Amino acid sequence: MILEPIVPTVLSVRRLPGADPALIAAYGGDPARHTALGLVTCDQDDAMYVALDEATKHAAVDVIFARSFYAGSAHASGRLSGEVLGVLAAAEPQAVEHGLAALLGCLAHDACFYDADGKRTVTVFPHVIASLGEYLSREAGLPPGAAMAYLVAPPIEATIGLDAALKAADVRTVRVVPPPTETNFACAWLTGSLDACEAAALAYAAAVVDVALAPKR
Amino acid sequence: MVSRTRQLMAALREALGAADPLPPLPALPPVPAPPARVYSPRPEKSAFAAEAARHTTALLGIGHVGTRYATAVVLQFQAELAVAHAAVGAELPDGWAEAHGFVGLTTRVTSHREFLLRPDLGRRLSDASLEAVRTRCTRGADVQLIVADGLSAVACVQTGQQLHDAVAAACRARGLSVGTPVAARFARVWLEDEIGQETGAKVAMILLGERPGLGTGDGLSAYVVHEPRLGKTDGDRNMISNIHARGTPPDEAAARLAALAAAMIEQRTSGVTLDLARLGEATGGRGYRAPQVRQRLVNA
Repeated sequence: MILEPIVPTVLSVRRLPGADPALIAAYGGDPARHTALGLVTCDQDDAMYVALDEATKHAAVDVIFARSFYAGSAHASGRLSGEVLGVLAAAEPQAVEHGLAALLGCLAHDACFYDADGKRTVTVFPHVIASLGEYLSREAGLPPGAAMAYLVAPPIEATIGLDAALKAADVRTVRVVPPPTETNFACAWLTGSLDACEAAALAYAAAVVDVALAPKR
Repeated sequence: MVSRTRQLMAALREALGAADPLPPLPALPPVPAPPARVYSPRPEKSAFAAEAARHTTALLGIGHVGTRYATAVVLQFQAELAVAHAAVGAELPDGWAEAHGFVGLTTRVTSHREFLLRPDLGRRLSDASLEAVRTRCTRGADVQLIVADGLSAVACVQTGQQLHDAVAAACRARGLSVGTPVAARFARVWLEDEIGQETGAKVAMILLGERPGLGTGDGLSAYVVHEPRLGKTDGDRNMISNIHARGTPPDEAAARLAALAAAMIEQRTSGVTLDLARLGEATGGRGYRAPQVRQRLVNA
């Protein structure tokens, strides 16, 4: 089914209510402020990044670690590895709990890849974030609350799609990551008004579907 | 949560011609409820705190529940704060001054809200009141007494006249002449400068409701100044505060105030230059004070 949501599979959710300070420091946290950790693995890295950002909007949590794994979830190192590990850190376990609830809710009902060719051999991530949280605004260098289109697709589809998105609406590029990446997808972050971001994401998804259905036109 | 991106993609999907329905959304994972924590009250154990609390109305030795105050303490605090708010919000009734034998005066303030926001207007007489002072008040008395609402009309109504009569009697007992009794509405302390200047009194004394503290909406203060003139500062004044049943009782305060006024006339000065040491026990000294009992406003 074309553009059917492919809901991310959450492979593990674990809490460390009192993590060792050395571990927190090694994973990029601040042992003075962070004591509790929440760790999640999932088979869609970009949906996870959006969900981690969503968690920072709902609870007093910081995203201290979020990295994609090489070659993606089809070549994972283990049954629970998926394609990304995200780590939330907070001063108290209850904040981690609320952050995890927002994160899992976002993964289940919001952020996901979409089937671009009806056979799930080409997928696209044309996500619109109406209001950036603390994590992605820091990563993007945008003020918290700005709108952003988070666009991901395989290399050729992403290239054609980005051209279509930039021409479709009054958006500017925040960050463009050409292939190869860890998962060998290509990524673009665009910002502008919310309407412009939505128009760009729609044009991007339409272009990716077009390329997927007619790769040699 | 409604996903805007999912709505956009569903619309695009429809536009591309796909008609088959999308699968339903998966159920959200349950959020574990926070553990219930119940704290029991921890009364203050220290005997020293209990003994200290007997001698003050301050909140000492109140114990705690977890990291917070006990409910009874919070309710008492809120009730006392409400008493203070009500006292600030109260106004002296129209005609109160005349009904109690005073010459009624008003300041340049026109409304209660303006009175709270503009202290400067509360320090000067209105034109009509200035005329009333010039025509109806005797000139050249030793002590000019002024009753006023200040920041607590409640206190003025409750004990204003009682304190005035007691002070006037105490002054006359010391051989001092007392001017025509006046009562001012919307008045600040410095109003005594203008009234004293116009009546030519040697000493002006204003008795007015003081800014309420917790549970003390009925306190009066008395400010005394020698040779009242516009432009006198607080350094030229002597004062007694907390004139109410649980502080300095009005009768005791009246004796001290009369002693202050007599000393000012004798030393021809007031404020920081007045030698209080020569007054000795007449102003109260630092004698024994009976243990204070906090008035319970709430039973919880």
